[in-house]
Amino acid sequence: MAVIEVKNLSKIFTIKEKKQGFKGSIQSIFHPKYRKVKSVKKVNFSVDKGEIVAFIGPNGAGKSTTIKMMTGILFPTEGDINILGLDPKKHRKKLTYEIGTVFGQKEQLWTHLTPYDNFKFFGAIYDIPNFVVEKKIKEFEEIFELKDFINTPVRNLSLGQRIRCEIVASLIHEPKVLFLDEPTIGLDPVVKENVRSLIKRMNKEYKTTIFLTSHDVSDIEKLCKRVIIINSGQVVLDDSMENLKYYYLNKKIVEAKMKEKVSLEDEEGITILKDKEYNIKIEVDTEKRTVADALKLLNPDNIIDINISNIPLEDIISSIYKKEDQS
Amino acid sequence: MLTAVKNQVRVTLLTTKYALMKEMLNKTTFLMNIVFMILNNACFIIQWIILYSIRDGIGGYHFQQVLLLWGIAASTFGFSRCFFYKAFNLSEVIQNGKLDSFLIQPKNVLLSVTTSEISPSAIGDLIYGYIMLGISGFSISKFFLFTLFTVSGGFILVSVTVILSSLSFWFQKADMISEVGDSLLTSFATYPEGIFQGTMKILFYTIIPIGFINYLPIRILSEFHLGYTALILLIMCFFVSFAFIIFYRGLKRYSSSNLMISKI
Repeated sequence: MAVIEVKNLSKIFTIKEKKQGFKGSIQSIFHPKYRKVKSVKKVNFSVDKGEIVAFIGPNGAGKSTTIKMMTGILFPTEGDINILGLDPKKHRKKLTYEIGTVFGQKEQLWTHLTPYDNFKFFGAIYDIPNFVVEKKIKEFEEIFELKDFINTPVRNLSLGQRIRCEIVASLIHEPKVLFLDEPTIGLDPVVKENVRSLIKRMNKEYKTTIFLTSHDVSDIEKLCKRVIIINSGQVVLDDSMENLKYYYLNKKIVEAKMKEKVSLEDEEGITILKDKEYNIKIEVDTEKRTVADALKLLNPDNIIDINISNIPLEDIISSIYKKEDQS
Repeated sequence: MLTAVKNQVRVTLLTTKYALMKEMLNKTTFLMNIVFMILNNACFIIQWIILYSIRDGIGGYHFQQVLLLWGIAASTFGFSRCFFYKAFNLSEVIQNGKLDSFLIQPKNVLLSVTTSEISPSAIGDLIYGYIMLGISGFSISKFFLFTLFTVSGGFILVSVTVILSSLSFWFQKADMISEVGDSLLTSFATYPEGIFQGTMKILFYTIIPIGFINYLPIRILSEFHLGYTALILLIMCFFVSFAFIIFYRGLKRYSSSNLMISKI
C-alpha cells in the first residue's frame, strides 16, 4: 500500500538577475530582470509502507526542494502530493502529526536545553500526555543509548550525540513516515554506522517508512532496498538496489600480485588501470569478456595473490549522474 | 477546537519559558539588562521634570499624564519584545529561509516563530511601565485598565511589525520597511498627543496607530470611557487578524534556503 504518492510535481523559483558591479545594481533597480528556474520538473513516484527509499542526486538536483514540498515547507508550483492520504499543501498541520523530519544541516533542538527537556517540549508540541512522553523517553533512552548525556545541554553534545537526539525528537510522536535529509553529514564512520543501525531498527520495530537523502553511498547501500535518482529536477532512475547493481555492475576489478612481471595492453573488454612492477589492476567488462579470460591473460601459475571485486557503487552512481548531465 | 486552542496556549507558554531560560543562562547579564533599561528610561523623565518646572501643561497633558504616557509606552514596548521578540526579526527569518523548523511542527507557525525569543531588556521596559503607573497614582481599576492596554497596545505593535515584515515574502530587503514602521511607532509614543495637529493626528489613528496604543488609553485612564475601550479592543482584533492573514498569504511564497542553521 502506497503511503507516499507524488504526481507531476514541479517547482519553479523566480530569481532576480543582476548585471555585474555597481552599474548593474543601479540598472536592476530601474529595469529588474527575473529568471524562472525550474527546480523540480514533473516528478512522479510512490513509496509503500515500511520501505526505506534512498532519494539521491547531485547538488542542486532538486532533492531538498522535493522533500520540502512533501513535508509542507514549500508550496509546489504544480502537481499533487499525497502522504498517508493527506495533501501537505492543504493539511500541513494534520500531516505533521503523522510524519517526522530530520535535517542533518538544520537543528530543531533548543541548544541550551538538555535532550530530556527538548523531548518534553516536542511531546507538548505534538499534544502527547506527559506520562506517555515519559514512557517514550525511557524507551528511546535505551534504544538510542542516550543515558550518558540525556541531562547534558545540547550545545555541549558531540555532533553524533546531537544527531541521535534530533532523530529521537522527530520520533517522539511515533511518525508513520520519516524524512531524513542527510542525517549522517559530518559524522565519523563509527557514529555513522551507529545512526544507520538505529534507522534500520526503527524501520524494523516500528514499521516506519523512511525516505532518505544522502550523499554518502554507504548510507544508501547499507539501508535502502530501493533508490530514486533525481538529476536536474527529473527522476532519472527509480529501481531496486538489486537491479541497480545487476544492470550497472557489469564491470569487475581484478587486482593481482604476480611472481614475474607481465606486460599487458588494453584490448576489447579489458582495460589496464594500473601496472606497477609486480602489481597489476585491470577492469573487465563482463558483457564483452569473462573474468576467466582475464585470468588466462595473466597466467594463473604466475599469480601470488588475487582480488576480484565489483566497481564501487559510488562510481556507478557518479556515472549515472554524468550520463544524465551529458544527455 | 477548544482543546486545540488550549494546546496552542500551552506550547506558546512553554516556548516563552524556554526562551526565558535561555536568557537566564548568564545571570549577571540578564539582570544588568533589566536594571539598565529601567535606569535608561528613568533618565528621560528627568527632562520632563525640568520642562514641567518651566511651564505647566504641555500638549494638554499634566505631569501625571506624561508619567502615564511613558508608562504605557514602556509597557507596550516591553510586552511586545518580551513575549514576541522574534516578530521584530521576522524579515530576516523569512529572507534567510529560517522558517523550516517551525513549518514541520503542528502548531501555528506565526506564534511559534514570534515567541521563540525574548529580550531581557524588554522585561526592564515592562517593569518600568508599572513603576510609572505606581508613581502617577495607583488604583486597582487603573492597574487592570493599564494591563489591558499594555496587552492590546503590545499586540498592535507586534501586528504592525508582522504585517510590514511579511512583505519580505514579496520583496527583498523589506526589513527596512519594518524598521521604519517600528521606529515611527516608538519615536512618537512618548510625546503628549496635543502637540500634534492635522495630518499627523489622522496618521496616528490610521496607519501609525499610536493613538490606539498610547493616546486613547491615556484618555481612558484619566476618565473611563467604555466606547473607547471597546474601540481599542476592536482595532487590536483588526490588526491581529490582518497580521495573520498577510503572513499566511505570504507563507505560500516562502522559498526556504539551504543555509546551515541552528535554532539558538
